[in-house]
Parts: sequence; structure tokens; C-alpha cells
Amino acid sequence: MAEKQLQKSDLVKNWLLGYSSETCYNYERLQALGNANAFIPIIKRLYEPDQYAQEISKYMNFFNTEPSYMGTVIHGITAAMEEKRANDGDITIDEILSVRSALMGPLAGIGDVVSQSIVYPILAGVCIQLALAGNYAGPILFEVIYKVIMLTLGYNMYMMGYKQGKSAIITFLKTGVLNKMLDLVSIVGLMVVGSMAVNNITYNLSLIGWEVQNEIGSVAFNLQETVLDALLPGILPLALVLAVRELLKKRTKPTTIILLMFVLAFITVGLGALCGAY
Amino acid sequence: MIVRAILVALIATCSSWWFSHVITRTWLYPIWSGFLVGIVMGQPMEGMMLAAAINLPYVGFITAGGSMPGNAMFAGSVGTALGLVSGLDMNTATTIGVLLGSVAVMIWNIYMSVNSVWVHMADKAAAKGDLKMIRFYNYVPSFFVSLIINGGPAFLIVMKGAVVGDWLAAMPQWIIDGFAMVGGILPALGIGMLLNYLSQTKKLLPFFFLGFFLAQFLGLGTMAITVFGAIIAFILYLFGEDKKDKEVA
Repeated sequence: MAEKQLQKSDLVKNWLLGYSSETCYNYERLQALGNANAFIPIIKRLYEPDQYAQEISKYMNFFNTEPSYMGTVIHGITAAMEEKRANDGDITIDEILSVRSALMGPLAGIGDVVSQSIVYPILAGVCIQLALAGNYAGPILFEVIYKVIMLTLGYNMYMMGYKQGKSAIITFLKTGVLNKMLDLVSIVGLMVVGSMAVNNITYNLSLIGWEVQNEIGSVAFNLQETVLDALLPGILPLALVLAVRELLKKRTKPTTIILLMFVLAFITVGLGALCGAY
Repeated sequence: MIVRAILVALIATCSSWWFSHVITRTWLYPIWSGFLVGIVMGQPMEGMMLAAAINLPYVGFITAGGSMPGNAMFAGSVGTALGLVSGLDMNTATTIGVLLGSVAVMIWNIYMSVNSVWVHMADKAAAKGDLKMIRFYNYVPSFFVSLIINGGPAFLIVMKGAVVGDWLAAMPQWIIDGFAMVGGILPALGIGMLLNYLSQTKKLLPFFFLGFFLAQFLGLGTMAITVFGAIIAFILYLFGEDKKDKEVA
């Protein structure tokens, strides 16, 4: 029997269809159905129609990882295993499943860090400023750069998985190179976050103030201008950010924090009303 | 108007129904989905600015395993649409957008729960080896779920949302000011979330203060600070390597 081999086009299809992993996203099995869909080209190439049921069903198991940036490596590894299984049959379904479920957690972790707490916030941080200033480059750069990074990483991770198998990614995870890189990128991220605290939060107490009449004349007192700005301009936004961080560390829900922000705003407005702002 | 409403409804639908992340991955974020809403509403500039403002509380937005702290997709698409039809300013739009996003967590939960049904149907198709039906169940039914629960509200907001602006305008000034003030404070949520993630190794926290004071005292913009941050990171990388070499030697 001739050796069954995956074509380059099968691999590219498998990689691209992986981006539909979350089309029918659901709480019960998350990306399972999406994965089954992504492996249709692989199954069709490697197996006979009477084997389809058995071979596709293994992808209907619970599966969840980060599917766009890093998790594609799992599909690459799986595709290589399928090819081997179809040819000499010495790889069992259980082996494929256990490799997939062993890798999905770690790669979800790294992938989420790269995509959601590095690329997205730094890019959004810069692009939001452009957009707020009325520059169309804001959203357009966001879209283009985000997709370029996503597809470049996603493709290379997939091909690395296919060519080098699971040992490559495990060695890579163990070296700690990634953690070092993340630390460095976090430095950029943190500095951007610091500047956003200055540029994007508007909260001041200038509503709270009054005029004092005495024999010298009238003296205007304003909590924001007389006290806080003299102390440190931007002290309130800084305090807000640090307070949010403390609350999150105490596992306060974001919804509760939003509620607290409403309370804070209306107390401020109320104090302003007491000072005769309305 | 009805064509615009339909297009906005489709954007809202696809912000949650991710037919392919090659396209939809960025639709999760208001800065892009809200901009698209602005384009189809014929007000790209206003839409872009409202969307960017609504995005701020969500810069620390992370979804893991399908659970999320607020429905940024709904806030971005529907919030921007509402802001445009009812003429809200950026701060008030942020407040209303985040309120919508918080309520719409329910919509997301319904979406994620209902979709389990299609997986069970796909199980039967898989057992028969029917690859075409697997593909069908992956793409088609969830579209209609999203169309109903995301597209429906979006359509109504574009058609009837202008009343929200009238309600707000009829309120006493202190409520209007309060709503705008909340919008100014809310970005602290996203920024604080990010700070929390990025500073998990405590030694990196000073870089947050560095960025803050560079912006506060020197008035540097975000782009300038990104450049400086990259240079600092690169220098640290070089010296870090240097130290390691010496330790080995």
C-alpha cells in the first residue's frame, strides 16, 4: 500500500480551519466541535470513508486552548501523529488524545498571556490614543498589526508542531526563554499602562470648593486646585488604578468594582452639590 | 436607516459568532467592532472615537475558557451604535457602554449554553462519519443563536435607541454629570486589571510608575513611552545576557 502523506494544502487548511475553533463555542465542550471541523481535511486525506466515524469522533472530546497564537502547535503535532497512525497504525487514539489534553492547558496559559495580556493591551493602548485624537490610523493599525502577529505566530507554531512533534514544544516550554521574553515585554506593557493612567482617566474634585470671606478679602478654596494639584497632579487617577489593583488582588469581581465607581462618582457629585455647584 | 440597522445587527452578531478568527478575532474589541459600526452608520469619525472610549475599561479584558468579566463585544458594537443614534459624548457613552456590557454577560452565557445542543447533534453526525453535517453544525446553528440574541438588540437600538438620549437630556444636571464622571473613572478598571496581570512579578512594578511619571511630568505621549519602554527592555536584555555569560565563565 502506498504511503499516505499529507499535502502542504491539507496542513494549511487544517491550520486555517483551526481559527473556526470557537464558532460554536459552548460551555459543555468548548472547542471540541470546532476542532472536529478543522480536522476534516486531514481525516479525508488519510483515511477511508468507513473509518471516518471512528477517526473524527476523537475530536469531539472536550478541548480548549488558545486557538489563534500559540495553540496551533497542538494541531500541527496532532496532524503529524495522524499521518503516522494512518501509515503504520502504531499510534492509538488514546495516545493522540492524551498528547492533546496534556498540551492544551499549558498552551492556553501562554497563548492567553501573549495574545490577551501582551499584544492586545499594548497595541490597544497606543491605538486608542490615536483614535481618541481623531486619527483613523488608530483602529486600522490595530487591525493590521494584530492580525499580522497572530497569523505569523499561528502559522509558525503550527508548522513547528507538525515538523518537530511534541518534544520540541516541551523542550521549548522548559527552557524558560519564554518567561524571560514575557518579563521584557511586560516592561513595555507596564510603562504604557502607566501613561494610560495619566491620559485616559478623568477624575478630579474641582467641584468641591468654596470662597471664604474674612477681613483681608475673599479667599477661594478648591480641593483639587489648592490641595491635590499642589501635592501631585494626577494623584487621583494614580490612586484609582492602585485601588483597582488592590481590589482585584482581593478577588473582588469587576462588576462590584464598576458599582463602586458609580458610588464614588455620585458621592463626588453630591459633595459638589453641597458646595453649591448646582 | 433600516439597512444600517441590519448591518449593525450583523456586526454585533459576528462579534460573538466567531466564524473565523482570521477575521473575527479583532471584532471582540470595541476599538475595531465599534469602528466598523461607525462606518456602516455613516459616521466613521464619531464612531471611532466613541468606540475607543468604550474600549478603555476593557483594555484588561481577558477571556479564559469562555468566561468573561463583561461582554466587551456587545458593549463595543451596540454601545457605539447607541452612542451614535442618541448623540452621547464620549464619557457618557463609556458609562452606558459598560452598563450594556455588564448586563450582556447574560447574553453571552445564554449563547455558550445553547450552543451545547448543537454539539450533541454533531456527536450523532460524527458517529455516522458524516463530515458534511459536522461542518454544518459547527457553523450554521450558532449563527442564528447569535443573530437573535446579539443582532436583535442591536437592530432595535439603531431603530429606537435615540430615545435614550432624550431620557438622559430630561434628567437633572447632577445625574448627567454623575454619568459622565463615571465614564471618566471607568478606564481605571481596565488599566488596573492590566497592571494587576503585568505586575505579577513584583520586581517589575516600578516600570508602571516610570511610565506614569514620564507622562505626568514630561507630558510624553503613549507612543513615545512605548519606544522608551522597548529600549529599556532591550538594554536589560543585553545586560542580563552579559551577566549570565560571566557566571558561566
